[in-house]
Amino acid sequence: MGLLDLLRKLKSDQNKELRILLLGLDNAGKTTILKSLASEEVTNITPTQGFNVKSVNSSGFKLNVWDIGGQRRIRPYWRNYFENSDVLIYVIDSTDRKRMEETGLELEELLADEKLSGVPLLVFANKQDLLQAAPASEIAEGLNLQTLRGRTWQIQACSALKGEGVQDGLEWVMKTVASKSKSKKKK
Amino acid sequence: MVEHNVQPGHKTKRIPIKTRNDIDLISVLYTISIFRSFIKWIVRLVSGTCELQRIVAKCKPGVRTVKLEECMYRSRHSLLRTLCEAEPDDLDASIKNVMALKGIVDDTNPRFFDTFKCCLEQIYGFDSLYCQVENLRMEAYDSKNKNHEEVLYKLWNLLQPDQPLESRISHQWGDIGFQGVDPKTDFRGMGMLGLQNLVYFAEKYTDLAKQVLLHSQHPQHGYPYAIVGINITNMVHEFMCNGLLRSHFYNRVEGRPSLDDFQEVFCYLCYEFDKFWIKSEPENVMAFGRIREEFKKTVKVMLQLVESAVLAIDQT
Repeated sequence: MGLLDLLRKLKSDQNKELRILLLGLDNAGKTTILKSLASEEVTNITPTQGFNVKSVNSSGFKLNVWDIGGQRRIRPYWRNYFENSDVLIYVIDSTDRKRMEETGLELEELLADEKLSGVPLLVFANKQDLLQAAPASEIAEGLNLQTLRGRTWQIQACSALKGEGVQDGLEWVMKTVASKSKSKKKK
Repeated sequence: MVEHNVQPGHKTKRIPIKTRNDIDLISVLYTISIFRSFIKWIVRLVSGTCELQRIVAKCKPGVRTVKLEECMYRSRHSLLRTLCEAEPDDLDASIKNVMALKGIVDDTNPRFFDTFKCCLEQIYGFDSLYCQVENLRMEAYDSKNKNHEEVLYKLWNLLQPDQPLESRISHQWGDIGFQGVDPKTDFRGMGMLGLQNLVYFAEKYTDLAKQVLLHSQHPQHGYPYAIVGINITNMVHEFMCNGLLRSHFYNRVEGRPSLDDFQEVFCYLCYEFDKFWIKSEPENVMAFGRIREEFKKTVKVMLQLVESAVLAIDQT
C-alpha cells in the first residue's frame, strides 16, 4: 500500500457516515431518543408528522438518524426509507402492554423486508422510568428475538426522558458496525 | 408528581429585533458600545433630550416598546436595567425616579409618564404571559382528571356536533386528526396548552376551524388536524420562548397581553398553515417537516419586521 492509499484510507474512515433508521409505534419515544442522542431538550416534543432527521457525531462517525413518525397512517411510508440503512433501531413503549402484539407484528414485517436483510437490530425497551414498564427480558421474549437468524441484535432497556441507557445502546451500535466493517474487509 | 412552576419575573430570551430591512453604517456603529455612547452624547448635546424621551416622542407604538426595552437593557444606569428586568412594587414611583435621573420634567413632557408606563406594562405583561403559557404547557394531559376530560369532549362536540362520540376510546378520534383511539398520548410536551389552543380555535372561530378540518380530511393531500394543531402550538411556544412574539404583542395589545391574545396567534397560524399547506401541493403527509420549516421561516420574517408584525386573523 502506497502512502497515498494509506492517507486516503484514513480519510475515508474518518468521514464514515452511517444511516440509522429509528422506527416503532406512535408514542414509543422515537423523537425523544433522537433528541437525547443529539443532546437536545426533550420536554417539548410533539407527535411526529412525516419524519425528523439529525446528524450526530460519535467516535469519528457521522450518524444520520432518521426518525419516522409511527402513526398507523404513516407506517406504509416506512419502506421508502429502508434503502442503505446500516442499523435499524426499533423503539418500544414498555408500558404499552395493550399494543405489545401490534408492535411485534410491525417489527416482524420490517425484518421480513428484503431491503433490511442482515441489517443489525437494536431494540430499545423505552420508558423504564415508569413503574408499570415491562422488563427488557420479557419484551425480548414477547418479540421472539431469540429465534432471529442471520442478524445481530440487541435489546437495551432505557429511559429516553431521563437519558438512561440511550448511550449504552449507541455504543452497541458503534461496536457492531465496526466489527461488521472489519469482517467485510477480511473477505 | 413534580410541580414545575415558572415563577413570575422569569425572562425569555431577548434577541435583537430588526426595525427595518436595510442596514446602514450608523446602525452598524450603533451596535458597538463605545460608538453608541458617543452618538448618544452628540445627539443629547444638540437636541437637549435623552434617548428615552426621543423614543417616546418619535416612535410609533410597538416599535416604541421594542426600542425602549433595548435602550433600557443596554443602559449604564442600573436603575433602568433592573426596571426592564422585573416589575417593581411601586411602578409609578420607579418611573418618577427615572424621570428625575434623566431630568425629564412633567410640564414640558406631559405625555412621557403615561406612554412610558404603558410600554413598561407591555414588557412586564409579555413576561408574565410567558409564565402563564409555560405553566399550562407543563400541565400534562391526565385522563384521570375530570376537567381535562371535559375539555377533550368539548373539542369533539365543537368540531363534530352532529356526530356523537360512541365511546371514550374510539377510532372516531382519528376523524379530527388524533393518532390513535385515545388522544391522551398525543399532547406530549405541549400538555394542556395544546388542547386548550385547539378548543379556543374551535370555539371562537367555529366556521373557520371546521373549514380547516375539512381541508385536512382530504384523502390524498390531507393532514391530521389535531396533531398538526399540537405541532403549531409548539411553534407558537417557540416564538414565545425566543422572544420573537414580542413585536406582535407590542403592536397588537395596548397594555398587558392575556392568554386569549396568545391563543389568537395560534388561531392565525392554524388558519394560515392550512392555506400554506394547500398552496405547497404536498405529495403526501411525509412532506410535513419540510413544509412546516418553510412556513416557520415566513412567519419569522414577519415577526422580525417590528413595524408590521401582527399575526391576527383578518375577519373582514
